[in-house]
Amino acid sequence: MISTVVKISVSELCEREELSRSLLVQLVQYEIARPVAGSTVDDWIFDVTSAHWMTRAVRLRRDLDIDWVAVAMLIDLLRERDRLSQENEYLQQRLGRFMNDEDRGPN
Amino acid sequence: MEFKDYYEILGVAPDAETAEIKSAYRKLARKYHPDLNAEKDAEANFKEVAEAWEVLKDKDRRAEYDELRRYGGKPHHDFEPPPGWQSSTGAQHQHFSGDFSDFFNSIFGGEFTQEGRSTSGAFGFRGQDVEIEMPVFLEETIADVVKPIEYELPIVEKGQLRHKRKSLRVTIPAGVGDGERIRLKGQGAPGQGEAPPGDLYLHIRLVPHPIFDLEGRNLLVTVPVAPWEAALGAKVTVPTLDGRINLTISPGSQSGQKLRVKGKGLVGKTGKGDLYAILKVVMPDNTGPEVEGLWKKLSEAAAFDPRKEWRDKR
Repeated sequence: MISTVVKISVSELCEREELSRSLLVQLVQYEIARPVAGSTVDDWIFDVTSAHWMTRAVRLRRDLDIDWVAVAMLIDLLRERDRLSQENEYLQQRLGRFMNDEDRGPN
Repeated sequence: MEFKDYYEILGVAPDAETAEIKSAYRKLARKYHPDLNAEKDAEANFKEVAEAWEVLKDKDRRAEYDELRRYGGKPHHDFEPPPGWQSSTGAQHQHFSGDFSDFFNSIFGGEFTQEGRSTSGAFGFRGQDVEIEMPVFLEETIADVVKPIEYELPIVEKGQLRHKRKSLRVTIPAGVGDGERIRLKGQGAPGQGEAPPGDLYLHIRLVPHPIFDLEGRNLLVTVPVAPWEAALGAKVTVPTLDGRINLTISPGSQSGQKLRVKGKGLVGKTGKGDLYAILKVVMPDNTGPEVEGLWKKLSEAAAFDPRKEWRDKR
């Protein structure tokens, strides 16, 4: 049986993503990721979803050659897009329970 | 192996200035970047565009490529580098996101890289991370659940990219939410040489439920009620994720009204959500002349105009 990992430490994140600690601090300052625990940088713990957004941010900055402010805005918009798309899916499902398929034109 | 016309890929003339090429790359990167575009072909298109930029942005590498192009490389035609060809620029591509084509590797002597996170140290390349969608039923979020998964891993053998199927049984922790990711350390593609394997990421997707809807950690259940139940009040049995509860409907209830049942929602990181029962008044079918007569009597006695609000607003 394989156990799952839902949290990731700063040292592991820096090693596997090839991030420096100062870049990690920048990513937190730009609110691209938020630690879920830890009072100092070395103690920070991130959830895997945050780590995923950090990876995307680093990749976007490199591939599109844009600055961190633009990356932070882009990540914000991507998150918002995901959230709205999920909300839309939920609302469509709820709406479907109140709608009947019968199509009646005006009498 | 097919010759790649990097100028054609970026839509620029062969004598274009670097600034013009950069601008073309940026436009196409924005269009095809897999982090911005979920379409199936986006990643392949982006790789092609990024590879073209990798070659054309570097003066020396571009000069080498131009030489080969003059030597007889034609787009979409078979191509082999001239006998004894050796690149003097090599592939300094640790900043490239994705794999290079055979064409690129044959010219610049590159090797596979992994999603921009490759480490090109003396001990080989860390294996590629793999992400798969993991459908989870709402009932499976109440407690830890063991689920079987099957996925494909990209493996490079003798310079060829292959796919290998892998099966695992994994524990999904209680309280996972839609869109969350969980990680299986070391279960991604194997590393090259002594490098460690990549990780497997499970992207959790909660499967739409036939009865329940979601609003954050709260569950919503639409409860059909008869018009007289809404009018006179009733006691109804309502399903929850792990059983049933009895719910009291007050007299004079409306369609769309929400009744809250505390602590019967999804398990969350900060406690359980609530269950909301949403009333939906439904009409009976084929009631016959007797019931129809009673409805007529009711309509006369109630003197009710459900669209009064419209009249007041016009």
